Amino acid sequence: MTNKESDKCLICTPGQRICLSDNQYIGGAGTYTRQGYITSCLAGVVKVTSQHDKRILIEVRSGKEQTVVPSAGDVVTARVTQINPRWARCAILCVKDIVLAEPFRGQLRKEDVRATEKDRVEMYKCFRPNDIILARVLSLGDAHSYVLSTAENELGVVIAYSEEGTPMVPVGWQEMQCPKTYVKELRKVAKVLPETISNENATGV
Amino acid sequence: MSGNELLSDQGLRIDGRKPNELRRIRCSLGIFSQADGSAYLEQGNTKVLAAVYGPHEIRGSKSKALHDKAFVNCQYSTATFSMGERKRRPRGDRKSTEMSTHLEETFAAAIRTELYPRSQIDIFVEVLQADGGNYTACVNAAMMALVDAGVPLKDTVVSCTASLVKDVPLVDVNHVERSGGSPELVVSILPHSGEIVYMSLTQRFHIDHLSKVLDTAIKGCKDIGAILNEIMKGHLTKLDTSLQAS
Repeated sequence: MTNKESDKCLICTPGQRICLSDNQYIGGAGTYTRQGYITSCLAGVVKVTSQHDKRILIEVRSGKEQTVVPSAGDVVTARVTQINPRWARCAILCVKDIVLAEPFRGQLRKEDVRATEKDRVEMYKCFRPNDIILARVLSLGDAHSYVLSTAENELGVVIAYSEEGTPMVPVGWQEMQCPKTYVKELRKVAKVLPETISNENATGV
Repeated sequence: MSGNELLSDQGLRIDGRKPNELRRIRCSLGIFSQADGSAYLEQGNTKVLAAVYGPHEIRGSKSKALHDKAFVNCQYSTATFSMGERKRRPRGDRKSTEMSTHLEETFAAAIRTELYPRSQIDIFVEVLQADGGNYTACVNAAMMALVDAGVPLKDTVVSCTASLVKDVPLVDVNHVERSGGSPELVVSILPHSGEIVYMSLTQRFHIDHLSKVLDTAIKGCKDIGAILNEIMKGHLTKLDTSLQAS
């Protein structure tokens, strides 16, 4: 937003019409379309941005952080909380790049840890409690938790602490090493690419 | 008949208001730090606190989870000291449970619940002082708390009551007028679209009167909506300036 636009600060309340919804104006976050008009659904400041394709994006920002819920196909950041031979329980902390106000429960089953040699996966050699993992939401699962998957090269453990308590460095896709004690521990390591966890190869849901 | 005292010969009501005059509304937002959103609202002597938590994961019994939208949970309670006679149970009695259900239905119609599947939004309202129009004050307070929490709403919901004394419709009925034996029509609307989301009538009257009483209530809703909109905007500008100052 340029300074000029921020000067004329327009406040709107839920249900207030902002403008006609047509090819030129599109509604973004904090808005919805009703009877052909872009309508605000939050109380906040209207933000107007022109996009590359000459269209104008209308958004409403409220002071409070908007909360999201994970949906199928999203990449989430989670902390492993509990492990047994069949699955690992996780607390979902972030959805894409949005930090959640409260964690959601997730479950990572043994079959979904990696894409190949699924039957030879041993959970204890892939994760430990307190590891931070990147995972993709497969489905909403049963009523209790979201079903997660790390069956992609870019998904898996990103932050893990050794038994001694220092953050470990990945060495290969199945091992991480403690920089102090040089002890190697087994993990399903994520190949972290800078800023590119593509949504193209989203797993079929 | 008691109706005679409710509206004087000069056309004034028992508390000195004109038939189409609302009680004074005062409201402040963001009064609790722990809740995601909160509001305190006074409509005359009716005083209500509202707090909103969520959307968060379903708590309690998992069977309440809806796979395509959020579950709205309301709890209505009245403080033991809120009425002339001291109340034994602040919540959980039949009347409070019914009121909670009405509030849930009202807000399920106004919140964009489809944005948050399998999650829950909690709304807690507490009546501190009851002087008629408890449901109305609760809806208005909870709506302000939802706005404070940043929960996406299709529209603001506002509620108002109306009554009929000597064939004259009265707006925003207080406790004396309500217990004086006149009918009470409670209406909640979405003011921008004009949809009625809740309507109830305590007594019977002739259907010919309904349209004018309903019009009075809807007019009251729209007036309250305008007042609350101003309060919302005032709160936002205050937030905005304090953010820029810091």
